Amino acid sequence: MRSALVRIGAIVRKEFRHLARDPRMLLAVVITPVIQLLLFAYAISFDVENVPTIVIDLDQTQTSRTYVERYEASTFFDVVAHGGTMAQVDAAFDANSARVAVVIPAGFARTLASGEAAQVAVLIDGSEPTAAKVSQAYSVALNQLYSQQLTRQWADQQGLDLSSLGTLEPRIRTWYNPERKSSDFLIPGLMVVILAIVTVQQTAVTLVRERDQGTQEQLEVSPMRQIELMIGKLLPWTLIAFADMALITGLGRSIFGVPLRGDFWTLALGSALFVFASLGMGLVISAIAPSLDTANILAMLIAFLPAFLLSGFAFALDQIPVFLQWVSYLFPARFMVTISRGVFLKGAGFMELWPELAALTVYALVMLVISSVLYGRRSAR
Amino acid sequence: MTATTTPQGVGAIRAHALRRTFGEVVAVAEVDLDIPAGAVFGLLGPDGAGKSTLIRMLATVLRPDSGTAEVFGHSVTAERDQVTPRIGYMSQRFSMYPDLSVMENLEFFATVRGVGRADRRTRAKALLESMGLDEFTTRQAQFLSGGMKQKLMLATTLMHEPDLLLLDEPTTGVDPVSRREFWRILAGLHREGRTVLVATPYMDEAERCTQVAFLDRGRIQRSGSPDEIKAQVPGQLLEVSLPEPRAAMAVLADVPGVTSVHLLGDVVRVLWDADADPEAALTGALAAAGRSGRVREVAPDMETVFAYLAEASGAADEEQAS
Repeated sequence: MRSALVRIGAIVRKEFRHLARDPRMLLAVVITPVIQLLLFAYAISFDVENVPTIVIDLDQTQTSRTYVERYEASTFFDVVAHGGTMAQVDAAFDANSARVAVVIPAGFARTLASGEAAQVAVLIDGSEPTAAKVSQAYSVALNQLYSQQLTRQWADQQGLDLSSLGTLEPRIRTWYNPERKSSDFLIPGLMVVILAIVTVQQTAVTLVRERDQGTQEQLEVSPMRQIELMIGKLLPWTLIAFADMALITGLGRSIFGVPLRGDFWTLALGSALFVFASLGMGLVISAIAPSLDTANILAMLIAFLPAFLLSGFAFALDQIPVFLQWVSYLFPARFMVTISRGVFLKGAGFMELWPELAALTVYALVMLVISSVLYGRRSAR
Repeated sequence: MTATTTPQGVGAIRAHALRRTFGEVVAVAEVDLDIPAGAVFGLLGPDGAGKSTLIRMLATVLRPDSGTAEVFGHSVTAERDQVTPRIGYMSQRFSMYPDLSVMENLEFFATVRGVGRADRRTRAKALLESMGLDEFTTRQAQFLSGGMKQKLMLATTLMHEPDLLLLDEPTTGVDPVSRREFWRILAGLHREGRTVLVATPYMDEAERCTQVAFLDRGRIQRSGSPDEIKAQVPGQLLEVSLPEPRAAMAVLADVPGVTSVHLLGDVVRVLWDADADPEAALTGALAAAGRSGRVREVAPDMETVFAYLAEASGAADEEQAS
């Protein structure tokens, strides 16, 4: 037992030496996460702000002007033009000078004054779906707030006690991320993508390299067991994955103010399970890949792309085709994204996230079994 | 366990009907081996003869299809754990970590092999000094010269003091000076009582072995001590010096009594197996073809012996085929 630990220690030390000697690898595991974090959080912002908006006020009353001021005051909408006819909406959309048009019909003020529901048309250019979706939500929310305010005014005028009605809340509200800051949403997901890259890619490559260099054969004539080699290979990458997790969490909190609302240990447990599941995938790749290049490409296909596309990181999972939704269950990233966002944003802990943690556990075990069967078959020579 | 505890004359390697195929290709076919402890056993043969396959089976890294092999009485398949501590295996290609230094490689493999810290230190120092690598302990393995790389690999396989060394073409691609140096080290190991099985395509290295086997197309064609092998070649070896030796070969080959003709540098080597005086017969035949040359008898070297044996076995195969 002691000699097994000595051997595992030797592997771990050696792996760290490889890492220290290879600037590219060091770059891949330390610098890349930071760059990706900054790139995603700053450049590829899903935040929607200053949406160019054209207002067609057909009512031209004090009330309608107050309503328009709401749009002008919002940082979300940027009122770039005022118009008097519907034709101007088409022109503005065609010229891309506006993406949202707010049309206030004639009689707006009169309808409101009579206590009825007034209609406001909000036209949205749907060619940019994210902006369209968010604009829609915002204008609805804005209308809600406005109507709420009107209700209060009306209640005051009628001498009604508002508290008896209860506070009116806008019905559309973004929970857990009230400001809809995309960095809040991105960083917990990004952590999963980065963990996936670091783990799968590196373990996939590290075992193939051992074979390519012929060092695998030297290890075979030693008393070292296959499982010791695996553990020795997994430990450094587990540590590195944890360091990356800490790095992203730290940067996310300090630079982007991402909240960490839930139980950190649930996140750590989830990360550990996810790392093991991903390393298992790496081992499977190692077992089947004949060369370094193949291993790299396979790792890219099996780890990176699903973590990016099928995890809920970039696209909401209920918005992708049903077939791909099923495919997404084949990869551990989707569970981890749920865990990560749950802990960071929703303040979730073990009680809420145990199904995902269980799924990751099963996944990790299945991967380790598959990889050792494949690796064993290969070792049988 | 040290080399000196192994009594002389006890079998280091015993193999019976060892066979291994890769798909359709028969790499090793029914090989029998009996190598006594303390021998320097040369496994000779051209590329693709099956030398590496045979060594890898004995080193337990390749499973035989059939047949048995024992190292110091332990089966290489059923008792791997008894075999591996006693062997040092040096594969044909450079198999150290290129990005680790000389000392780091030595340390790593020795640790994995279960060599204690104190032993690692003293042995590494002694081995590196004896191999002239002590100046390069911090150099990354990838930046070593070819000869130094081979010496590093040998040093690595010696760190756990194995009784049997399995060396797969350790001097291939190494300059002549380093080759001599390498064999000087092997001679030292031989004196310490270790058994060495060394594969080589260089026939001149066979002279330095206590025993040799000639492997061709997966089969051992000849084996014995170098002297025994030489004795298997009938007749005497003659060297003919003349201008345009290549053109004269056809003439010499047609002389009755000549069994084999080879070009060696700028002389022709002729194997003569007849009662007649070879010098007279050869100069006579050359004169008849309008040529002249000087003939002298030389002691047969392994190169010629194996060239002849390979030719003979090739001819025998052709006969069988037809």
